[in-house]
Amino acid sequence: MLAACTQVRPWERGLLAKEEMAWRTDALESALNDHIFFSKEASSGGSSAAGGGCGCN
Amino acid sequence: MAKPSRSLLALSTTALALPGIAIADAPPVNSSLSYKVSNYQEDDLDRAESPFGDLGRYDIDVHQFQFISPIGRAFSLQIDANYEDLSGASPWFTTLGPNGSPIVNLSGASGIQDRRAELNVGTRYYLENGSIGGNVGYSQENDYRATYGGISGERHFNDDLTTVSIGLSYSSDDIFPTDAEIFNRVISEDKSSASAVLNISQIINQVSTFQTAFSITEQSGFLTDPYKLVDTRPDKKTQIAWSNSYRRYMRAADAAWHINYRFYHDDFGVTSHTSDMSWHQNLGSSVQIIPMLRYYTQSAANFFTNVDDFTSPATNFQSSDYRLSAFGAISGALTLKTTFGNWDATLTGERYLANEKYSAFNVSQPSTALVRYVRVSLGLDYSF
Amino acid sequence: MIFRKAGYASVMALTLSLSFNAFAVEEGDDAPAFSLPSIEQGQPDISMAALEGKTIFVDFWASWCAPCLKSLPLYNEMYRKYKDQGLEIIAINVDNPVEDGLDFLIDTPLDFLIPSDPDGETAELFQVIGMPTSYLVSPEGKVELVHMGFRTGDMEIIEEAIEKVLAAN
Repeated sequence: MLAACTQVRPWERGLLAKEEMAWRTDALESALNDHIFFSKEASSGGSSAAGGGCGCN
Repeated sequence: MAKPSRSLLALSTTALALPGIAIADAPPVNSSLSYKVSNYQEDDLDRAESPFGDLGRYDIDVHQFQFISPIGRAFSLQIDANYEDLSGASPWFTTLGPNGSPIVNLSGASGIQDRRAELNVGTRYYLENGSIGGNVGYSQENDYRATYGGISGERHFNDDLTTVSIGLSYSSDDIFPTDAEIFNRVISEDKSSASAVLNISQIINQVSTFQTAFSITEQSGFLTDPYKLVDTRPDKKTQIAWSNSYRRYMRAADAAWHINYRFYHDDFGVTSHTSDMSWHQNLGSSVQIIPMLRYYTQSAANFFTNVDDFTSPATNFQSSDYRLSAFGAISGALTLKTTFGNWDATLTGERYLANEKYSAFNVSQPSTALVRYVRVSLGLDYSF
Repeated sequence: MIFRKAGYASVMALTLSLSFNAFAVEEGDDAPAFSLPSIEQGQPDISMAALEGKTIFVDFWASWCAPCLKSLPLYNEMYRKYKDQGLEIIAINVDNPVEDGLDFLIDTPLDFLIPSDPDGETAELFQVIGMPTSYLVSPEGKVELVHMGFRTGDMEIIEEAIEKVLAAN
């Protein structure tokens, strides 16, 4: 799965630039999910610095 | 009548998704305005779970707004505003039921309303090989207030193939439960939370990228749930999370495959695994369909008990909050996305089922109040 | 000068992979010679050698590069403004497949020369560090300006350089 890293030149990054290759393809959806799961499960954190914000826990 | 403190939504989308490619850093080319409206609805409890009380749980409407814009040559601005409207009930206490197994009593019912409003403003400054940013935010609801902020920086290395970023954030929260005197609850308490995250992302080849991130969070203050009849938790909590993500573009299919995994552990005793994957399938140049599947499992907190012990001294840690029990959850979602001119529209439906039978951890005390819900969202995005 | 060599040297010391930054085409260098087919079928090949005496603005762009797409219509206006004074624009498209570049041009026709470099051979020759990158070449073949990225205020910077080179020739 993790092929050896290759030197991808700047003009070769067209496929990586596709919208569907972003880390988060829908910022509002990710924020909504992060929060639903934060208030319905015991876990949080990981990819972005959390902050406080709600009386959910 | 107990009022739920739970409100669904929260804060920040931290200033920004890292694009897979990085050009000598610059603010986004276009401005964008996004809106998403969602309805979240929990399944009623079964009669067997709650023989003597109400069965209806939460019903929440959420409105999210986001505005992002470049400012001049080297800055960007991001504003997030969220509003939610919540009605319903949540577990108040658990007891042994008529046939010897635990049952739940909800916070009694009709017409519970809570509203939450939140504003978060962030800015980013772009340099030759990276960027730095900061944000401040405020959230207010009937019984809860949070003031928070964060800073972050990222730098690209290795011909922009590698990106390292660090983020720090802090939140100071106040809790003032409703009907405090009537139900003998705490009148006013506070808590604070500080966290740090380190994130490394790497372009592997022309079609794939990988990211790993480690975060640590310290919470201190009043961490107990004031709306539960019996609930006492430590006044400090340390949690760590390690998440990994992989993205791969599949040329033959014209689709992207996403897979994520997160390991979590805290000193309440909870350990969890979260894994999800999604397939972003292009249908022509203006439609995308995205199925998603998620599996989550957690162990129970050290002091979780599925039947409240009313005789235990208040200084002993205990909680029957289902969110501290051992369980597993499976959820699936489907999103339809279409583009027309400068507009994007998305429609998402999600179904989530928590069940002790799905747990990968040993379940010595299954909770009777595990949640099942349906969520539907409609989003609109405009670039200009 | 845009490329801070010392800074890059220390960054490279930290990385494991080989970077070509040290050999990038810089201001003051001679522009590398190249000859590429036109992106349009049936059009003649494009090279700087065929444009004797002209001031040439070479730009590397792709349909997946958002700042590139923003710059191209503005470059078209710039071309109309300065072509009678001796400016030529060669906008090298690096899209692979080429159809992606052609699709963009259907919606946004451009008046200047557009070669196709799908395998990135000419981009490699220029050691392009980021997308977009443009190079202003004097009639003597010297690189007078290297410009990376495209943001608010860049048109003023580029036009100022073009006017200076046109005036000197």
